[in-house]
Amino acid sequence: MVEHMSRRFRIFGGFIFGVIFSFRLALAASSSAPPVDILLAAASDAALQPLIAKLESPQIETRAAWQFWIGTLAGKRVVLTRTEGDPLNAVAATTLAIRRYSPKLVVTYGSARAHDPALRSGDLLVSEKFSAFDGLVSSVVPLDAGSDSLTWQKLPHLVATKGEGETAVFFFPADASALAVAKTLAAPRGKVVVGVLGSAAQVNREVDRVAWIRREWGTSSEDGESAHIAGCALLLGVPVIGLRVIDGTEAEAAAVALKFMEASK
Amino acid sequence: MKHIVLFLVFLTALRAADPVDVLVQGAENLEVQEIVAALEGPAKITIGPFSFWTGKIGGHPVAVQLTGQALINCTTSTVLGIEEFSPKLIVNQGTSGAQAPFLTLHDIIVGRRALDYSAMITPVRAVGQGSVALAWTPVPQRLRDLATGKLVAFAKGFAGDEAALAVAMRTRNSMGRVFLGVIGSAHEVNLELDRVRWSHETFGMDVEEMESGHVAAIAHAYGIRYIAFRVVSDAPYEGVPFYPLAARATGLFTVNFLKNLPPL
Repeated sequence: MVEHMSRRFRIFGGFIFGVIFSFRLALAASSSAPPVDILLAAASDAALQPLIAKLESPQIETRAAWQFWIGTLAGKRVVLTRTEGDPLNAVAATTLAIRRYSPKLVVTYGSARAHDPALRSGDLLVSEKFSAFDGLVSSVVPLDAGSDSLTWQKLPHLVATKGEGETAVFFFPADASALAVAKTLAAPRGKVVVGVLGSAAQVNREVDRVAWIRREWGTSSEDGESAHIAGCALLLGVPVIGLRVIDGTEAEAAAVALKFMEASK
Repeated sequence: MKHIVLFLVFLTALRAADPVDVLVQGAENLEVQEIVAALEGPAKITIGPFSFWTGKIGGHPVAVQLTGQALINCTTSTVLGIEEFSPKLIVNQGTSGAQAPFLTLHDIIVGRRALDYSAMITPVRAVGQGSVALAWTPVPQRLRDLATGKLVAFAKGFAGDEAALAVAMRTRNSMGRVFLGVIGSAHEVNLELDRVRWSHETFGMDVEEMESGHVAAIAHAYGIRYIAFRVVSDAPYEGVPFYPLAARATGLFTVNFLKNLPPL
């Protein structure tokens, strides 16, 4: 088992949390796009449109399968992108947006399903940190002996670091100053809760598995993208914050994101 | 003078590198080692945390890229690599776990297609009713077609480039056999043989690893030709544990492939 796991567990050292401005500069493309203050990422048009409708001097740019709306919102230069609600599209769109528009902060917003049984529909969950809970390693079990997902072990993310290194992590950090702003917001139909935003390309409706994920990964909620966006932002040295309305509508999530923009300095 | 120097540094940072014909990827140092060693006129550049080595192999301008493991690393680094080097072909290669019983250590699967097999939706089960992974419903990767505005689902994954496949199947693996097959990607190491059999039967997967299907999706979105090679580094049916040096086989195979590859 140990030898099997070492394929993914090997750690070369290095530590990437102190990434500096010059790091971001080195990512910049030959795009003529001027830098923005904030990247806003949401899964669907329905969650984006209320904010796009308020953009001053809006522009649309596209690249491959991804789309970007650039303009001024609440006095700040912003770019919005659609993540399609899955990790791959979310990470690709986030990478492109960071490279092309050099945001100082990434905001991932939308709805989520509760993992924490204390959460209620309409609560606003804001990110203390993020957990991409899709990593697993199973034990050696012979044919016809079944599969038991409640015995699987979690597999960490090996975050690439400069100098061909990697660092094993189970959580991606959220920006403390953005979290302070997020905590001042009002929840659409409930309370504001600080917690761990989990994501995977999964819709988990087995209660025992949800409890297992929460126990293993420390998640408060699940959605299709937030922690993966946070992992990408960590790789590229950009702070990130997550805003998730439990069982929320797109309109509720957009309203929360707009309030966050208005409250941000 | 200081300002002029700073301005020049800034311009250098903004300018993308010269284009290459082939972007060659590996997730780990051992997976790119043989290929970097084969570069003529090697030069190293870094973008964020990711390392690239440019040069020529078989007359082709190439960039060899250390992608890092799994979706977050490989998706981020692939987008950066494409934006920086505008490749005509992407080769993703490295180690994998066998999912078909006939495969053994050092065999290479040339990916006629590659897919993400991790996305799923579970049935509804109440407290105490457990979790049944073999009953989960797969969810295919989707990509937006911006020309129509529609999200397109790729249930079978993404096909390898036909011309590159033909070259690969004429390329020698000096350490094992070569088969056309299906490569599945997820942030998973599956050693329960019933689940291995399930993913083999459900997706047609011959090997599992962590990057090819994701990179294939990105290549498709950009309209870039794509091929993946995966050497068997562990074979759960045979009880063969992970052997990291198997990466050498796919590295050498990739160098041979590039030498056989006609001008792009």
